[in-house]
This record gives sequence, structure tokens and C-alpha cells, in this order.
Amino acid sequence: MATLVTTITETLRYKGKLGQWSWVLHRVTGLGVVLFLILHVIDTSWAAFYPGQYAKAIGEYQSPLFTLGEFALVAAIIYHAMNGLRIVLFDFKPEWWHLQQKAAMIVLGASVVLLVPTFAIMFGHVLHYYDGNPDLVTISDIIQSQAQFLLGFVVIIAAALLLSLAYALITGETGTPARPNRRPSQFDAWMWRFMRLSGLLIVPLVFGHLAMVHLIQGVFDITTSGHSIVGTDAVNSSGKAVEFVGRRWDYLVAGVAIWRIYDGALLALVVVHGFNGLRYVVNDYAHDRVVRRALTLAIAFGAAALIILGFAALLAGVDETAYGIAKEGLESFSKVPTSPFGG
Amino acid sequence: MKVKFRIRRFNPEVDKKPYWGEYTLDNVEPTDRVLELLHRVKWEQDGTLTLRRSCAHGVCGSDAVRINGVNKLACKVLVKSLNLKDGGQIQVEPILGLPVVKDLVVDFEPFFDHYRSVMPYFVPATPLPGDGRERRQSPEDRARFDDTTKCILCACCTTSCPSFWASGQYVGPAAIVNAHRFIFDTRDGATQERLNILSEESGVWRCRTIFNCTPACPREIEVTRAIGEVKLAIQRGGR
Repeated sequence: MATLVTTITETLRYKGKLGQWSWVLHRVTGLGVVLFLILHVIDTSWAAFYPGQYAKAIGEYQSPLFTLGEFALVAAIIYHAMNGLRIVLFDFKPEWWHLQQKAAMIVLGASVVLLVPTFAIMFGHVLHYYDGNPDLVTISDIIQSQAQFLLGFVVIIAAALLLSLAYALITGETGTPARPNRRPSQFDAWMWRFMRLSGLLIVPLVFGHLAMVHLIQGVFDITTSGHSIVGTDAVNSSGKAVEFVGRRWDYLVAGVAIWRIYDGALLALVVVHGFNGLRYVVNDYAHDRVVRRALTLAIAFGAAALIILGFAALLAGVDETAYGIAKEGLESFSKVPTSPFGG
Repeated sequence: MKVKFRIRRFNPEVDKKPYWGEYTLDNVEPTDRVLELLHRVKWEQDGTLTLRRSCAHGVCGSDAVRINGVNKLACKVLVKSLNLKDGGQIQVEPILGLPVVKDLVVDFEPFFDHYRSVMPYFVPATPLPGDGRERRQSPEDRARFDDTTKCILCACCTTSCPSFWASGQYVGPAAIVNAHRFIFDTRDGATQERLNILSEESGVWRCRTIFNCTPACPREIEVTRAIGEVKLAIQRGGR
């Protein structure tokens, strides 16, 4: 971990060119998106399993704190996507390296160009929502519910540390290895390819997803009754977020549930891509064998759990009776209809 | 002109922590090289200042230091290239990621260990030709690795790399450049072995294409390109 501090302070001190800052931004935006991804997959699975809980989660997404987070998330995704394309380009055309500095500028420019209209549209949704004097979830409610996630992370990492420690006690492998692992890593070679291929597939999928649920419809409109549901010919009659999810997943084109397939593809690719990125960060900065094994274990478990949970929700779908349950769940939720940030 | 020097000092026998030593030099010419100024500090002001240099002409690669935030050979940097005003500051510190022995001198052994690990020597693919003369190669084949023959092992690239700062076990740009020189040599027979070595956990996959190494190279080797070509060779399963 000491090298994490060194890397941060020395990256700030070293007068690297734009490539260095592109790398920093790529890491920071990637980590931010993974954090949201974890919350988002768990939240969305509630639409299938705990409709009342899902309604609360959407209520939180409509709060000012999450609105700021949503803007940051969209900016992070757009930058990470654009810079990812730059990385892939120079990985496969290393002889074009002399254009990389220019490409890094283009990435920044393109991100801004994409963000300006995106933010304008998103801001329009925000204004429209606040025009209707909505009931806002309070900060303390948000902290309370997000604390569960934090507790979950702590428990998983603690459990992984205990397992790793037990493994170290049995095998006697502790401390930092003096010599690097000398086996050729087919896995790393394979993941290198996967990161690039999955990145290329994720870009159109995630941009489509952002366009549908952040721009065309937006998180504020998925709880408007009578609002058409993006990507389907259905209307959200109950005005509940679970109905939005349920009708999208049940929408068939020529007998195929296209949005389930779309969401499933996005889920699998993004989780593996994101958690492998997390593994790279752990490999870079966690050198103690016990800590590294624990974090790697937590990452593998986290990725598997999210994929299983997400696919279980996609397969289960949303029962139409859930539309009513969501309503009850929402009404039991404490609300203070005051200023943004809950007064 | 007048120049202020800020030099990172550390004597492990006396100092608990490194500190910045400050020195002022008068009558500095724009055409002076930083190495000459370091000599002036040592010879005129503080004889305990420790630095390493041999040829002093950018060939031996022994005086790599970080100058005003960027890795360079002290013997190749002219004062005028630093765009200083009169009384401006030159900050010199040891390259990062290798243990500091004293002041600006670092221990190169870990760096050379990585260099040795990639088999940086010719392994003939064919027996010596019957006429007992050299193994011939087309100019095109020779050009394929011309750029990476220029390395002088100064460690400017490796110690500019955040991946190397993060883990000294990463083989680093310089070792990959020297592997590239033989991997793409059509006369060499150990390409696959080197690709296997560089595909290890500490190998090329730790490169994040940050591009700090390329501008750091005093020989203007296209370092990140060479690393990229090695990655693609591993993916292809051959040169």
C-alpha cells in the first residue's frame, strides 16, 4: 500500500505529459463507475425481488445528492469510454504513438462536446421534476440505506481477509514475495484482449443505456404515471419504477425480450470489465500476499455475486402484483417535502 | 546569469530523512549543461555532494536524474532548454523506484536484474553459415528493430513509469525495449522464450500506456511503441 501513496504523490510531482493525466482520469473514472455499478445492480435486482425496496432506491436516485452523482457518473462514463477508445487505438496501432498526445486532447474535447448537450438535457429533466414540487428523500435516509452497502463491503473484505489469513497460516505464505511470479500468465494475456474487446462492445451498449434512462426518459420520469416507457409501446400506468422495469423486460420484439438480452449483455460485460480493472489496481498497489489474495478473492466473489444476482433478476422479471407492493413500500418511507438536500 | 540549485540530499550514514540542499551559482551560461553545474556545486561549494557520471557526453547512461520534474541525463540538458529566468531554479533529485545509495546515486542492481531476465543477448536460430562468415539479413529485417538497438540502459524510462513506482517487480520499459531488440531480429531463435518471460505477471501487461517513458528517453527511442509491439507479438504468438 505504501507504493500507492508514492505513486499518488509522485504522479503529482512528476511533470508527465497529457498521457499521464489521461491514465489518472481513466483510473478515477473507472473506480467511480464500478462503485455505482455495484449499487445499481443490487438496487435493480430489488425490482424483481423486493419491489418496495426498489421504490425507495429510486426515490433516493431522485434526491439532489444522487442527482449530482448522476451528472458525475455520466461524465465519468463518457470520458472513460472516449479514453478507452484511444487506448485501444494505440494498443493495436503502436506505430501511431506520436499522435497519442493529440488523441488525448481530442478525447478531452470530444468528452466536453458530448457532455454539453447531455448535461443540458439532463438538467432539463431536473428542472421539470422540481417544478412539480416533489417529495424529496432526506439525507439521513440516504446515509442510512447506503450504510448497508458500506457494511456489506466491509463484511465481504473482512471475510476475505480472514480466509486469506487462514490460507497463509496453512501454507506459510506471508509477506511480500522477494521475486515476482515467474509463470507465463495466460490469464493476463487473455484479460488484456478481453478488456479491449469488451470495451468496444460496452461503448455502444452503455451509450444506448444512458440515452434511454438518463436522456430520453431520465430517472425522474420513470415514476410518472401515464408516461410512455422508453424502448417499448407500453405506458407506465401505476407510475411506479418497478412497472417501468417490468414492462421493459417483458417487451417482446418478434417473441424476443430484447431489453432483457440487452441488459444481460451489458451486465456481464461491464461487471467483468469493471472488476478486472479493480483487480489491476489491487495488483499494482497491494503487495502483501495476504492482503492481495484477500482483495482478489473479494473481487472474484463480488463479480460472480453481481452477475448471478443480476441474471436472477432478469430471469425472474417483475410480477405485475409488484406494481402495487411498490406503492405501499414507498408510502412507508419517511419523506420531508422541504428544500433540496432534505433541509 | 544566476541559478538557484535545489538538490535532493541523503547520506544514509548521517541523515534520517532526505532533505533539499540549496546552492546558488553565479556566471551560469545558457550553454552550460546541468552536469557541469552539478560539478561546480561539488567542486566549489560542497564536496560531499555525490553523483554518478562517466563519459559526460550522453553515451554511457550513468547520470540519469530527475531535473525540474522530468527524468533526463544531466549531461544532455543545456541550461537554456530549461527556460529559466535570471535567478531561476533547477531542481535535481534521484530517479524514483530504485534504492538511493547516497544523494543522486541509486542502486541499479534491481534494474539490471530485470534487464538480465529478458535474455538480452543473441541466441542463434541457425548454425554458423558454411563460409564461417556472418548470418545475413535484409536491410528491411534489420530496420525492424533498429530503434531499440539505441538503448544505453540509463533507466530514465523505467523510473518515469508509474507502474514501476507502484511495483519494482514490474520488468519495466527498458528491459522490454532490450527484449524487443532481439524478439524482432530474424536471426534470433529465442523469440518465444522472451515472449513467455514478458507475458509473466511482472511483464508487459503491467504497462498501462501512460507514455511517460517515451519523452523521458534521451536516445529518443519510441519506447511505448516498442512495448506495444511486444504486446501484439505475444497476442499473435510470435514476432
